[in-house]
Amino acid sequence: MTRLFSHFQSSVGTKVILALTGVGLVIYVIFHMLGNLQVFEGPHALNSYAAFLRDMPILLWTARIGLLGIAVVHVVLAIHLSLNNRRARPIAYVIHGYRRASIASRTMAASGIVLLLFIVFHLLHLTAGIIGPASAGLIDAEGHRDVYGTLIHAFQNPLMVVVYLAGQVGLAFHLSHAVSSSVQTLGFEHAALDRLFKAAGPSVALLVVLGNVAIILAIFLGIVR
Amino acid sequence: MITKLDSKIPSGPLETKWDRHRFSEKLVSPSNKRKLTIIVVGTGLAGASAASTLGQLGYQVECFCFHDSPRRAHSIAAQGGINAAKNYQDDGDSVGRLFYDTIKGGDFRSREANVYRLAQISTQIIDQCVALGIPFAREYGGQLANRSFGGVQVSRTFYCRGQTGQQLLLGAYSALCWQIERGQVTMRPRTEMLDLIVVDGQARGIVVRDLVTGRLSVHMAYAVVLATGGYSNVYYLSTNANGSNVTATYRAWKQGAAFANPCFTQIHPTAIPPGDVYQAKLTLMSESLRNDGRLWVPKLPADTRSPHDISEGERDYFLERRYPRFGNLAPRDIASRAVKAVCDEGRGVGPNGHGVYLDFAGVIEQQGFDVVRERYGNLFEMYHRITGEDAYRAPMRIYPAPHYTMGGLWVDYNLMSTIPGLFVIGEANFADHGANRLGASSLMQGLADGYFILPYTIGHYLATAKLPPVAEDHAQASAALHRVTSRITRLLDAKGGRTAASFHRDVGRLLWNHCGMSRDEAGLKLALASIPALRDAFWREVVVPGSGDAFNQELEYAGRVADYLEFAELLCHDALHRQESCGAHFREEHQTGDGEPTRDDSRFAHVAAWEYREGTIPILHKEPLAFEFVQPTTRSYQ
Amino acid sequence: MRFTLNIWRQKGPNEAGRFVRYEASDVSPGMSFLEMLDAVNQKLLVAGEEPVAFEQDCREGICGSCSLVIDGIPHGPDRGITTCQLYMRRFPDGASITIEPWRARAFPIIKDLVVDRSALDRVMQAGGYISVNTGGAVDGNVLLIGKDRAETSMDAASCIGCGACVAACKNASAMLFVAAKVSHLALLPQGEPERTRRVSAMIEAMDREGFGSCGNQYECEAVCPKSISVRFIATLNREYLRAGIVESALSSESESPHAESV
Repeated sequence: MTRLFSHFQSSVGTKVILALTGVGLVIYVIFHMLGNLQVFEGPHALNSYAAFLRDMPILLWTARIGLLGIAVVHVVLAIHLSLNNRRARPIAYVIHGYRRASIASRTMAASGIVLLLFIVFHLLHLTAGIIGPASAGLIDAEGHRDVYGTLIHAFQNPLMVVVYLAGQVGLAFHLSHAVSSSVQTLGFEHAALDRLFKAAGPSVALLVVLGNVAIILAIFLGIVR
Repeated sequence: MITKLDSKIPSGPLETKWDRHRFSEKLVSPSNKRKLTIIVVGTGLAGASAASTLGQLGYQVECFCFHDSPRRAHSIAAQGGINAAKNYQDDGDSVGRLFYDTIKGGDFRSREANVYRLAQISTQIIDQCVALGIPFAREYGGQLANRSFGGVQVSRTFYCRGQTGQQLLLGAYSALCWQIERGQVTMRPRTEMLDLIVVDGQARGIVVRDLVTGRLSVHMAYAVVLATGGYSNVYYLSTNANGSNVTATYRAWKQGAAFANPCFTQIHPTAIPPGDVYQAKLTLMSESLRNDGRLWVPKLPADTRSPHDISEGERDYFLERRYPRFGNLAPRDIASRAVKAVCDEGRGVGPNGHGVYLDFAGVIEQQGFDVVRERYGNLFEMYHRITGEDAYRAPMRIYPAPHYTMGGLWVDYNLMSTIPGLFVIGEANFADHGANRLGASSLMQGLADGYFILPYTIGHYLATAKLPPVAEDHAQASAALHRVTSRITRLLDAKGGRTAASFHRDVGRLLWNHCGMSRDEAGLKLALASIPALRDAFWREVVVPGSGDAFNQELEYAGRVADYLEFAELLCHDALHRQESCGAHFREEHQTGDGEPTRDDSRFAHVAAWEYREGTIPILHKEPLAFEFVQPTTRSYQ
Repeated sequence: MRFTLNIWRQKGPNEAGRFVRYEASDVSPGMSFLEMLDAVNQKLLVAGEEPVAFEQDCREGICGSCSLVIDGIPHGPDRGITTCQLYMRRFPDGASITIEPWRARAFPIIKDLVVDRSALDRVMQAGGYISVNTGGAVDGNVLLIGKDRAETSMDAASCIGCGACVAACKNASAMLFVAAKVSHLALLPQGEPERTRRVSAMIEAMDREGFGSCGNQYECEAVCPKSISVRFIATLNREYLRAGIVESALSSESESPHAESV
């Protein structure tokens, strides 16, 4: 076990853990988006979905703590790697030309920071209700917490829309490099599947962000009310 | 002083000489090996394979190279392949045939016993290389693939695309890495050998310069192995890497090691023709191109029309015409001279008329563009990059270039020079290729020497010689150190206005013109008369900036040029002495009416081994070549 | 043709460096980039100045010595070649060209444009070999290797060890170099017995030398003179993962295959 532990302390090992935690977070983000899409089915669907989750407090909190743990590991390792990487080239080039690196890949640290700030804000805002909507405590007709109403209320505020859209931009950039990158880091390669792997990142990013943005804009534009 | 050249060739049947010799050799006990330090200079195929094998046997090896890494030695650039008498193709190959082809290819100027041993060992080399993980080309069924190469009629050449030398070297380098990791080999890269230390007639150490700090140091050992390659760069322009030089072997010569057959220098027929004065090297186009390409020039002199406008009837496919049996696959020396001959007739093509066409139109038409691209794509691309021309549309232009030197320090059957304890392996020795080397044989020889021959023979020397310990401050070591120091000081103090490169270019041109593809007495005498003046001018006028105790590339280079300026004379003396045409050595005076070389076995069936004498011309010693098993014939490829 | 060169000059490893401008005149389009620098150096020498130090040897793209970052790109603007194979016809007449050394903590500068790449050798010494003694190898055809597999192995083996991958990487990572060696040997049956030990030891050595980690940006592949595919990096990652599982799960703690070799 100690050997396994030391094996994954190397640069490649660290990257593998970064990739695995990243994949975990991506899976969560996808389900989060799919769950929230129920907003289009009306208050009943979304609020019962939320109530369904809250009815299993042990599972919910295990998931929440697990997720938080994964996120913390992911962020800490990312910072660790970035600092190491910075040390690997103490003197920069005066001209550094890029040939292949996508903009997303070159801004992983920046998009990561944007994302981190956004997630903290999002948790304080919609999950904990500490920031923003006074509606967080509302109860709907069926006696469930009115998540639907909270959402509607939140995204009628243009400032919130701007903040959330900015978060989505960060997410899009981060995922579009991260997903394909994880495939590589986890050692998947095949001549025939190369293109698929390369396309995976941008595709996942696009899907997740389209879903999320659809919710935000639908509410803001009054399509869902 | 050399009294007698004893080649130490075992008696008895050719086929069993090496086996019997190995059995009769004394062994060093494992516990003693640990106490014995061996110096290996050079990390090409021969040096790296020797150092790693000696390390594996338990010796303490100190290995030196002037490159930043042992992996950069010029063996890396060999493109074509490596021969072995495996007969995997069942096309009639055998050890005997490889032996005969090699000795005939060398125009009967090499030792039967050495060449036979080389052919025997060739098969082991392939097995060893496969075991080291060298990704040789394979057939679909998974077996090793072969191709036919350079003037032979069987397919015995093993290859890794066009990078065989690279792969074999990286294999030897990886073996070396293993021994470095095990602590058996101490690797000292960026360190150049500048002199040999001889104590009581035995080679006991070297003086080296750390190329980063400039620090000179003495390294002592029980034996010294030189694997420092050839001297084609004495011609200035050659296909060798810029760093390849004669310094190590030349300085060993000055300490008493005989230099054998220096005039046997191979000029490779297929290089890209030279361009402007700053051109640093000639780029070789693999000989494999001659498998499908056809060499031609216009029948008319000074025909400047585009090749497409010259009709079939107006073209002279001169190799096919002169050598119908081998055609475009005639051996290197023959092809090179034929190219020179047509260019001398004024029928050369391209700027300065230094070039002939190598045409692929026929094969493209017959077998298709894709086949040609698959076979030679990378070479065509390389040609395009260098010349800016597209060889798929118009024929390539090629011209011969100095490529390999068969001559080198004289060694006996045990690969030991005339200085006991100084072993010389690979291109640096003279042993196996006679007057001309066949394609895909140099890799074979380098690895045979390093992996399989030297590790045996050096053991016998160490087991039998009296080798008292010698301290680093021994008088001979101090003397050698002093020689090196004063030479460096002299170079730095000249403070003239001409660069070392300009002298190198001059001596190179002189040799190319008078001691190149063809030589005659008048030209050689002219060169011999001109070299001392050039050398004097060098020491007066050369400019070397900076200091000796720092990283100083110009100082390194100037030291090598200084040696070329002396060595060039030795080359010309040898060429002048050899009044016959054999292999790569073509004397204008010795040819038939239709320009074929005439060899003179009655007077020159010997190895010419030259001994250094200060201030006078070198002394010639002859090692007669006895042919017990093959009959020297006229080497006809017609 | 004429060019303005902006070249990094640095007297020694511990001295400060700076850019110096040089004019290269009378350059012919058929000159290689290094021949152009030779010409500049010849003029500097005659003028009594120290020539620009740069590394070179074979000048045919195989030894891996040459190492210049030209206008921000290792080995210059053309793809799939080394600096020595770059020709001046590639540049517009009158262009201004910036020349820098490989920059990485693992590649300290020795002088001007010459860097110390021995870190790559030490990574190789950690395990980039098959430990097989000379002599006694079985016949080369005993183990059959399919053509495709041999070719893929050769693709990886064609690495010339120039270090351009490190120079181009934002993180100065040597992953493509290590990946090429590990893949070359992992693909062959001869490399199989040491597969686990090799990859672990080489990665450990790579980290020790101070290279960064792979960001999967693939700049390395884009500048590699042998166009070695980043798919080998995936292979390396996979080999490493496999080694982690094999080492921890399948071997006992007591037999430590590479502990003594560090």
